[in-house]
Amino acid sequence: MKRSAFLAALVAVVLTAPAHAAAVVGQPAPEFTLTDSTGKPHSLSSFKGKFVVLEWNNFDCPFVVKHYGSGNMQKLQNTYTAKGVVWLTVNSSAAGKQGHLQPAEVAGKLAERKAAPSAYLLDADGKAGKAYGAKTTPHMYVIDPKGTLVYAGAIDDKPSTDIADVAGARNHVAAALDEALAGKPVSVASSTPYGCSVKY
Amino acid sequence: MKGALLLLSALLAAVPASGQAASGRSKHVVATLVPETTAVAPGQVLTVALRLEMEPEWHTYWQNPGDSGLPTKIRWTLPEGFEAGPILWPVPARIEVGPLVSYGYDGEAWLLSELRVPATAAPGSSVTLEAKVDWLECKEQCLPGKAQLALTLPVAAQAAPDAARAAPFARARERLPRPTTGWKGEALAGAQAIALSISEAPGAATPVHFFPLASELVEYAVPQEVTSAGSGFRVVMARNPNGGALPATLDGVVTTADGRGFTVSVPLREGAADAVAPPKPPAPAAPPAGTGPSLPVALGFAFVGGLLLNLMPCVLPVLSLKVLAFVKHGGGEGGALRHGLAFAAGVLVFFWALAGALLALRAGGEQIGWGFQLQSPPFVAFLASLFTLLSLNMFGVFEVGESLSSVAGRAPRHGLAGSFWGGALATLTATPCTAPFMGSALGFALAQPATVNFAVFTALGAGMATPYLALSASPRLLALMPKPGRWMETFKQLMGFVLLGTVVFLAWLFGRQTGIDGVAALLLALVLVAMAAWAYGRGTASEASGRGRVLALGSAALLLCAGLALGMSQPQRATANAAAPAAGGLAWEPWSPERLAELRAAGRPVFVDFTADWCLTCQVNERVALASPEVAARFQAEGVALLKADWTLRDERITRALAEYGRQGVPVYVLYGRDASKPHRLLPEILDAGTILKALDETL
Repeated sequence: MKRSAFLAALVAVVLTAPAHAAAVVGQPAPEFTLTDSTGKPHSLSSFKGKFVVLEWNNFDCPFVVKHYGSGNMQKLQNTYTAKGVVWLTVNSSAAGKQGHLQPAEVAGKLAERKAAPSAYLLDADGKAGKAYGAKTTPHMYVIDPKGTLVYAGAIDDKPSTDIADVAGARNHVAAALDEALAGKPVSVASSTPYGCSVKY
Repeated sequence: MKGALLLLSALLAAVPASGQAASGRSKHVVATLVPETTAVAPGQVLTVALRLEMEPEWHTYWQNPGDSGLPTKIRWTLPEGFEAGPILWPVPARIEVGPLVSYGYDGEAWLLSELRVPATAAPGSSVTLEAKVDWLECKEQCLPGKAQLALTLPVAAQAAPDAARAAPFARARERLPRPTTGWKGEALAGAQAIALSISEAPGAATPVHFFPLASELVEYAVPQEVTSAGSGFRVVMARNPNGGALPATLDGVVTTADGRGFTVSVPLREGAADAVAPPKPPAPAAPPAGTGPSLPVALGFAFVGGLLLNLMPCVLPVLSLKVLAFVKHGGGEGGALRHGLAFAAGVLVFFWALAGALLALRAGGEQIGWGFQLQSPPFVAFLASLFTLLSLNMFGVFEVGESLSSVAGRAPRHGLAGSFWGGALATLTATPCTAPFMGSALGFALAQPATVNFAVFTALGAGMATPYLALSASPRLLALMPKPGRWMETFKQLMGFVLLGTVVFLAWLFGRQTGIDGVAALLLALVLVAMAAWAYGRGTASEASGRGRVLALGSAALLLCAGLALGMSQPQRATANAAAPAAGGLAWEPWSPERLAELRAAGRPVFVDFTADWCLTCQVNERVALASPEVAARFQAEGVALLKADWTLRDERITRALAEYGRQGVPVYVLYGRDASKPHRLLPEILDAGTILKALDETL
């Protein structure tokens, strides 16, 4: 018995190999379960029937600083959560890497930046990030009430760290949400994400 | 120190002077505008370089930055009539950041721009050229960098080239992708892959990588499949599923083994969904005829290797106890031979399972080779826990009911099954030893077709099972063994210490993979595992009461799980292939295909050492042969660049490079001569100073 267990453990170890995956627009968004800063678990499937926004985050990344420093990200969060959209901010920074947060640190960071996501999810092992193919902070995803991915990519069309660029940019996330909420197809369904690399 | 130098150079350069370079700096990058000529001439073109000098490990980006990053931008403010062309981007490098891949530059990059001087520029006057430069500098973290640079140059009838700058500008132009007018080809996009096929590529050496210009076309981190075909080549890349509409042309730069780059622009069209198969790891290159052993020889070696495995410190204790039990009981039910056969079956089935798992993973696209089992820190932790448990079992801390190593006087309860699992366990305990001692032989076998592979693994297993099988088959041989007695218990306990020695090796390896904190956690995990064994032993002791037994067994299970979880959850270091400490006074650089190509292009002889901490052959070669004074002196005298590719942890680039040399395991030693057109030379796996010196004589 004991030896069979050894064998099973060996096979399990040998076979746990990472697979390359990415979320594809027009297809079901990959399921995940992540805990928020208070230890509460959140699954994508539990938000069926609602629009969900995923925002990959690392508060120390200059591109994230641009969108929080300008108030752009907070404005999006407030505007769309008021319309019933679930806004999930995901942090995939591994322990010891830039932007990694302990659950206890999250509330302070959110308050400091006046961020207002529905939940701040911790993904230190990068499982959810890799399942979505999240490459940059920020990297944005919009999922419709049926669980289909309708937008993946950059937050807007001005890849820079310059706060002044926020004003004149086309915000792809706001546009996708406005169109989808109005029952229209999303005109720009994907774009090249820009930002710092996710610190897996 | 480096920072201070950069600051100093920035301060010096900030002194404005006519025709001089203008500098600015960010935290980790110094940006300088360098004009090619000391003056501008009316109606001519002035080339200006933006020189970016980056601190070690910091980089800036190409026009398509890959998975993350931003291209460097120059915004010119020029006098009336001047026109600035776009940046002429030098050939980029592939920069790996965790599981992501970016395209950019490290060290020093020269971004050239061509400025058209109007014919109306008046000789005798002077012009000021201003550039606002923005870049993103990243190591692991990213910082935006910017500089406002101004150059003031006199206008003269003739612009005299600045002799001091001729060489760096020539080098910078050398780094630009070459035009490819004579090339023919096309690109086809399937559902999951994009294939670039160039049928004729005059002037190009072996292609290495294709850097696409379009930002969302391919998955940068998926290894490309690059194959030479006739006078051209083919590159298969994974298509980005969110790539959107397909551009009409596939544009980019292909780099070649000699470090050069070529501009590619071919028509791109959608093919049938399955017209292009997604990239898979390159088919293992068949080793050149005559260099590898023939199949019978390989099988013979594998058989002898299997025999020797019985003497390895990982296997000897387990196996010798099995033999002792045999001596004691003279077999068990069903006759001795049947036990021997069951044991052999256990060994073989487990070897096949291991080979099968490896082949399946490789077919599934994993870039792994032999030794992969020791590249995984969780598996190393698991083995260390297993060996600790086995040694405690030998010390008598606990007994397993159907103990395969039971010499306590009972016959094994499940005789034949016990022998089968005994064989399987012996193979499992052999896994850490096969990599260090036989990595290169098995690595060679893995480069062969699957059937050959299985034959070699079968021969290895047969060799390992033979001594036991022989004992079980021949009562006369068995009679030669010492008579049972108290010495058996002593011997068993002694063997427990041999196993603990193996734990020390595994802990050292684990430390190299995870760091000192990882080792501390592993040792704590082993203490928990040992406590679990002890609690189990207390609980199963005949004098234990019913409640005490439940408590002891429950805590044993908990402790075992906690120990395994702790040991197996330690995060590994980012990469093992970092700058290696100098051995024997030699300066080794970390290997990368780009660095190798660069050195080769510069005409430097290069010695590449593919190694891993868990590979004992490698360690011995490095300490005995590579670090010997004669070899070190010769390396230095000849100016041989030394590159070390450390495969201690999984590294797909190294696995692919090994495959290109026809190998699937370490050690591999490769020597490149000064002449880039001559082929490289592979050195034997077992090195001595004489062999290296002789190879240097013949190659350089």
